[in-house]
Amino acid sequence: MKLLQPGRITEVYGLTGMGMTRLGLGLLAEPSRRAPVVALDVKGWLSPLAAWEMGVDSSRLVIVRCPDPERWPQVAAALIDGVQAVYAEVPAGVGEQHLRRLAALARARRTGVALRPLGDALPSGVAHLRLWAKEVRWEGVDHGHGQLRRRYLVVEVSGRGVAGMTKTMEMVDDGTDVMRVVSGVGAEERQPARVAG
Amino acid sequence: MWYPELAPKSASQPASPVDRSADVRWFEAVVQTIEDLVPRVEVAEPGVAYVPVGGAVRYYGGEEVLAEKIAGAIPPGARLGLADGPFAARQAAERAGENEPFIVEDTASFLRDLEVDALGPGELAETFRWLGVTTLGALARLPREAIASRFGVEGLTAHRLAAGEDRVPLPRSIPPEYAVESCHYEEPLELAEQVAFLTRNLAAQLLERLAREGMSPFRVMVEVEAADGTVRQRTWRSTDPFTEHALAERVWWQVRAWIDTPGGIPGGVVRLRLDPSDLSGEGRQLPLLEPVERDGATTWQEVTIDRHDAERALSRAQALVGPDAVLQAVPKGGRMPHEQVEWYPWGDRPPEVTTDAPWPGKVPPPSPALASPTPPPIEVEWDGGMPVRIRLGTRWETVLSWSGPWRMVGRWWEGEGPADRYQIVTSVGAVLCVVKDGRAYLAGVYD
Repeated sequence: MKLLQPGRITEVYGLTGMGMTRLGLGLLAEPSRRAPVVALDVKGWLSPLAAWEMGVDSSRLVIVRCPDPERWPQVAAALIDGVQAVYAEVPAGVGEQHLRRLAALARARRTGVALRPLGDALPSGVAHLRLWAKEVRWEGVDHGHGQLRRRYLVVEVSGRGVAGMTKTMEMVDDGTDVMRVVSGVGAEERQPARVAG
Repeated sequence: MWYPELAPKSASQPASPVDRSADVRWFEAVVQTIEDLVPRVEVAEPGVAYVPVGGAVRYYGGEEVLAEKIAGAIPPGARLGLADGPFAARQAAERAGENEPFIVEDTASFLRDLEVDALGPGELAETFRWLGVTTLGALARLPREAIASRFGVEGLTAHRLAAGEDRVPLPRSIPPEYAVESCHYEEPLELAEQVAFLTRNLAAQLLERLAREGMSPFRVMVEVEAADGTVRQRTWRSTDPFTEHALAERVWWQVRAWIDTPGGIPGGVVRLRLDPSDLSGEGRQLPLLEPVERDGATTWQEVTIDRHDAERALSRAQALVGPDAVLQAVPKGGRMPHEQVEWYPWGDRPPEVTTDAPWPGKVPPPSPALASPTPPPIEVEWDGGMPVRIRLGTRWETVLSWSGPWRMVGRWWEGEGPADRYQIVTSVGAVLCVVKDGRAYLAGVYD
C-alpha cells in the first residue's frame, strides 16, 4: 500500500516522541527521487538528518519554517500548489475550513500531502488515509548500556484509503531507509498490550 | 531556415555586435512571406528562423512539398533543413545546398554522426574533443549523470542536444502575469528614440521580474499596437536564456523593422508588450531540480513543468516567510544532531563541507527527527545517578530504559564545560538529553 498518494492527504498523528515525524518525512523519500519535496516546519525542530536516513534526497529536500499559525494556511497552500510532495506540521487551532481547502487544492494539483497535526487529530474527511501511532517500543538500550537501535511502532490505519476498515500494522525502523512492516495491514484488530522494557 | 550571408555558422564565433536593424528589416519581409504559408515562425537571429511545420506538412501534403513551397517563396540564398527539434533543424540547414532542402528522416542517426563542434564555439566542444569524444553520438553514449557532474548545466544541455532531446516548448501557457506591457494611448510614441528607450526599459523589467522567480526566458513574443489599431507580433527565440542586452537589442531591431516596413506602425506605438515563454529555471542554482530517466524513457518535459511549479511555489513561500525560513541542508561532521546539519538558504549554492572525518562522539542513527540547536531545559528525576522519571509536556513519564551517560568534552577553548548525553526511553517514545552542570536539556526527540 502506498502511504502517500498524489492528490491525497495522509494524516500522521501521535504523541510527540512516538515516531510519526520520522514516518512522515520518510513518505517524501520516493517522490524526492523525481522532484523537489518540502517539509513545512512549525516548531523549528525538524531535523533533515532523520529525513536523509529515511532515504530523502538531500539535494531535493527544502524545509520551510513557518512558526506563525495565522500565516500557516497561506504558506501551506502555496507549497501544495506547486510542489509534488509536502510534509507539513499543522499548528494547533488551524480552522477546519482551511484544512478542507488544502485537501481540495491537493486534489486539484495532484500533490501528495502528509499532515502532522501538533494539536488535535484532523477533522474527519480531510485525510484519505489516517496513520495513528498507537504504541512504540525501542530496542538497544538497557539501564545505561547500549544505544537506541530499533524502534517497533504500532500504527492504526484508517480512512477511505483502506475502505473505512481500520487496520493495525507494526513497523520496524532501524535507522536505515527501510521501514519494514512486520505484521502487515492484514493484522486485524490486534489488541497489543503495553510493553514495558 | 538559414541565410549564410546574414548569420554565421553556428559553430563559428558569433558576429561582433553591430547594429543589425537593416538585416532584421530585410529578414522581417522574409519571415512574413513564410508566415503566409506557415504560422508562428520564430526568429533566432537575423538570418535564422524556425518554422514549426507539424500541421503545415499535413496541410500541404508532405515535407518535401512544403519545403519546396517555402524555398520557392523566399528570396534566393536560403538553406532549408527539416528535422526533429530546432537544434537538429539548424544543423540540417547548415548542411543543405542552395535550393536543395535537407530533409532529415532519422534525426537520431543524423545527430549521431555530427562532430561535437556542432554544439557551438567554446571550451566545451574543445574539451570533449580533447577527451576523445569527437561526435555527438559518442557524447550521447556517455552517462548523463557523469556529464552533469563534470560539466554542469552546460554539459547537460549538450548531452541532451546530442541525444536528440531538444528544448521543446512547454505544453502549458505561461501565466500572463509574467508579461510586461507599456501603454501610451494618450500620446503615441512616434520618435525612434522614445521607442528605443522603452524597449530597453521593458526588457530590463521583464528579466528582473522573471529573475525574482529564478527564471529566464528562451522565447519572447514582441507585440506592438499601432495608433490605428494594427497589431504586430513576432516571437524571438534563443538557444541560451536571453540576457538583458540581447533581449533589448532584439526587441529594438524588431520594432524598428516594423517601423521601417511599408505600412509600418501608422500613427506611432500605443502599446508594447513582451510575453515570455519557454522559461528556464537555470538562472537559479537548483541542482535539486534535475530531470530523471524512468524506464529508459526521459521524463524531461514533465520534470521541467514540476521544476517551474516548484520554483514558483517556493518563491511564493519565500515571499511569505522570508528567505531565512526557506532552507536546504547538507550533512556535515558533528557530535550532536544539530551539528551534523549545515543549513543554507534555498536558491543558494550548497556550502562545501567535509563529512569524511570520523566523529567518535557522534550520536548514532537512527537520529532524532526533532532536534534543537538551543536545547530547552527539561525536568528529569534522578535516583542515584539513574533517570527515573521525565516530564514530557504536562505529564511525568516513567523511564523504561536509557543509555548513557556519554561524556562530551566541551569546547574548552570556548569556555564550554563537559556535558553528558542520555538517550531516554519511555512508553511514549525516546528523547535525547544533555546534562550539564546538573541541569538537563532536551536536545532531540526521536519522533
